[in-house]
Amino acid sequence: VLVLVCSPLPRLRALLQRCWGRLERGLWPGIFGGQSPPWGPALAVQGPALVPQGISDAGAPSLPESVVWMAAPKQRRTIEVNRCRRRNPSKLIEIKRNIDVCPECGNLKQKHVLCGYCYAKVKEETRLIRMEIYKKEGGPFNAPAVETVVLYEGEKPTEKDEGKRIIERARKRPSWFVQN
Amino acid sequence: MRLSVAAAISHGRVYRRLGLSPRSRLDLLRNLVTALVRYERIETPWARADEMRGYAERLIDYAKRGDKDERAMRMADFWLTEKDLVHKLFKVLAPRFQPHAGSYTRLLQIPNRDGLDRAKMAVIELKGNPLPPLVRPRRDSDRTLLNQLLKGYRQDAQRARGT
Repeated sequence: VLVLVCSPLPRLRALLQRCWGRLERGLWPGIFGGQSPPWGPALAVQGPALVPQGISDAGAPSLPESVVWMAAPKQRRTIEVNRCRRRNPSKLIEIKRNIDVCPECGNLKQKHVLCGYCYAKVKEETRLIRMEIYKKEGGPFNAPAVETVVLYEGEKPTEKDEGKRIIERARKRPSWFVQN
Repeated sequence: MRLSVAAAISHGRVYRRLGLSPRSRLDLLRNLVTALVRYERIETPWARADEMRGYAERLIDYAKRGDKDERAMRMADFWLTEKDLVHKLFKVLAPRFQPHAGSYTRLLQIPNRDGLDRAKMAVIELKGNPLPPLVRPRRDSDRTLLNQLLKGYRQDAQRARGT
């Protein structure tokens, strides 16, 4: 089977000639806004052949060519717009509705958190009890293998405190520490 | 079709990331468990207390098996860095919690720490400890309407039984 291959060169040459003719006469709407390209006298130098019109009209540009254009606000934001943004409910501090009064001492506390005053009281008493324990143990790493019970002034160990180690505290029993 | 896990998604992960590395996290929790067994009430950041609670309760479950059990002794040996506490665990805590089925610890939130970080703090304690109680259980006052009605009903029933 004979395959006919025609050379693409004559077709291509005709196409280029048509395009060039249209360009010279300014009949190409996409380029140069429908006018003919600027054919003024130019130096025969290496460079882009088609020069955009903006630079030839403006003369020497004041800024260097490698400038980066940054975003900047065009208008001053009015105080009304500013107020809308600053006072939007999502930007305001949320009001807490879970604050209550502690029934023991009357200080304020959050509902799911222990009262700060009552906890400080208990923490101080625990610290004093632990000091007594340390004095009784004598040194570090002497934890006994028996339970502990804390007795205040004038209290005797009951039959429930049979085999337990007794820690004495030299004060009256506080009302909030109920003996079991 | 996503073939890899994207960063910053942690759906379904139960363990928190504490400390410098997984090994450091275990060491941190081990120190906290030792302190809890020694002092029976400690105050620490809430996240650490919450993380430590599970490990402490499982340790007590192991201790309930008895100290003849090989696995229980190895667990206690790893988790308690101070070896006098191993005796306390098996001789004091295991009998104390024998009647309980679980939940040997109590975790309560405290006001935020006073320092610059204002961290969420918690106090975790073993139940049945000899220290003063943190929370006093409050009964409703006698002056509420329901309690007054119930009191009246009780008095009527007594009078009816008496006559």
